[in-house]
Amino acid sequence: MSQSSKEKTIVIDCHAHLEHHSKPDWQDNDRRLLQAGDKLGIDRLCCSILTPRRPATAAGFRECNDWTADAMKRFRGRVLGYCYVNPGYQREAIEEIRRCVEDRGFIGIKLYNEYTCNEPVVFPVVELAIELRVPILQHAGHAHYFNKDQPRISDGGHLAELSQRYPEAMLICGHVCGGGDWEWTIKALRNAPGVYLDTSGSVIDEGVIEMATELLGADRLLFGCDMSMTAGVGKLRAANLSARDKRKIWGGNMKRVLQARGAR
Amino acid sequence: MIIDVNAYLGHFAFRPLRHNTATGLLKLMDRQGIDRAIVSSASAITYRNSQAGNEEVAAEVKRHRGRLIPFAVINPSYSGWQHDLKCCCEEFGMKGLRLYPRWHNYKLSDPCCLDLVNEAAERDLPVSIPIRAEDQRQRSWLVEVPDVPLEEITGLLKACPKARFLLINGIGFAKSPLGTRKAGLPPNYCIEISRLSAVLGNEVGQLVADLGPSRLVFGTGMPFNYPDPALIKLAVLDASRQVKDMIRWRNAAGLLRLAR
Repeated sequence: MSQSSKEKTIVIDCHAHLEHHSKPDWQDNDRRLLQAGDKLGIDRLCCSILTPRRPATAAGFRECNDWTADAMKRFRGRVLGYCYVNPGYQREAIEEIRRCVEDRGFIGIKLYNEYTCNEPVVFPVVELAIELRVPILQHAGHAHYFNKDQPRISDGGHLAELSQRYPEAMLICGHVCGGGDWEWTIKALRNAPGVYLDTSGSVIDEGVIEMATELLGADRLLFGCDMSMTAGVGKLRAANLSARDKRKIWGGNMKRVLQARGAR
Repeated sequence: MIIDVNAYLGHFAFRPLRHNTATGLLKLMDRQGIDRAIVSSASAITYRNSQAGNEEVAAEVKRHRGRLIPFAVINPSYSGWQHDLKCCCEEFGMKGLRLYPRWHNYKLSDPCCLDLVNEAAERDLPVSIPIRAEDQRQRSWLVEVPDVPLEEITGLLKACPKARFLLINGIGFAKSPLGTRKAGLPPNYCIEISRLSAVLGNEVGQLVADLGPSRLVFGTGMPFNYPDPALIKLAVLDASRQVKDMIRWRNAAGLLRLAR
């Protein structure tokens, strides 16, 4: 990507995934992700591993996080880990988050679609994220039809409500470009300053980044790919924004989020 | 030289498009170093009478024919399509067709569609088929328009071997018969890259290997899409300069019978 300023732009993909080890080619695929990052100028990838089937069991999410921890060692400084949990296993989820963040240097929590994020079962996880000063990356999307595969998927409105309850939480609304009607999502988050919006997803609709910046402000956008690598990089490169705003989105904002806990 | 085979003018029914006039699109192309673009009417996707969209595009590109290459959106299930086709070719000088079978409520195997495609072949016009107009997940509550199934396209290629096809806004070719010479399909189609991966799964690379570099063409989907993702795909693709030039413009120039 072009650097429009002499200042080094740090590029942090806030939304990436490593492969579940049940896939025989997981090692090659993980290596390809890092190679893609090299080609595209991505300095760091914030990754989680999800169970192939949800809802995840406690054993299932622990195993995923063990593999993420291994990858953090293998690709030290490049791969940062999110701890994935299913809040339905409350005691195990809380223990797992502490184990991952306090003992293994994970940078945040990944929540998927087991529960809508404003359900009370999620609150203890949010309270722990606040205590540990780590962000929660919430899988999200808003469609104008019932998503039978994901009946409890969260959307921007749920995240806004959660943020109102916990204004000090650092919440990230996942993949605005992979979760349905992005105009709806951006508008739903307009009055939720505690929620960051992740730009990832395969959709490359012209104007999405500019609208998000205009309504939410550049300080609330986080660059991400969610494995749609050229889409992720391309849409931000193309967006008609100032170099200063782009620097924030490429990685400045995520760096600030990571620094809340002291990660560099 | 870059030729974009996947661009549009006009309005889309479900969200505002910017850069959607000839002047606006050309400015965007200039910013990205894109020399020429095939354009069709975005409005014609949802107009009942798609010819109204063709008329709008014809008027828009009139003073920009050196750079904007108009394609006609023809709905073969709508009355008077034969007249519309004749008008688009002979009066407007349009250089190809775009078909929206799902939006316009017909199948590629329908006799009316075969008639249209055979007529296009007679006129030596390439037929462009967008697999989708926009991502399904963001669709309006008013419509549910599925992607065009690749199997249906395969059937059309076989049924009309003399026609020439341009498959745009698609994905998953590498895992279908369309993605390999071994399937024995007539070599009468090209695949546009805007939705294909060039890293990780690297569908572009797979198609170059399995189908041959002469079958891939560059496209962006402007102004529905940002153009940069497609440009980045070409930049990061592990391929020779010669192969990239084929994808960037040479294959499209051949398809369009452009003087080199």
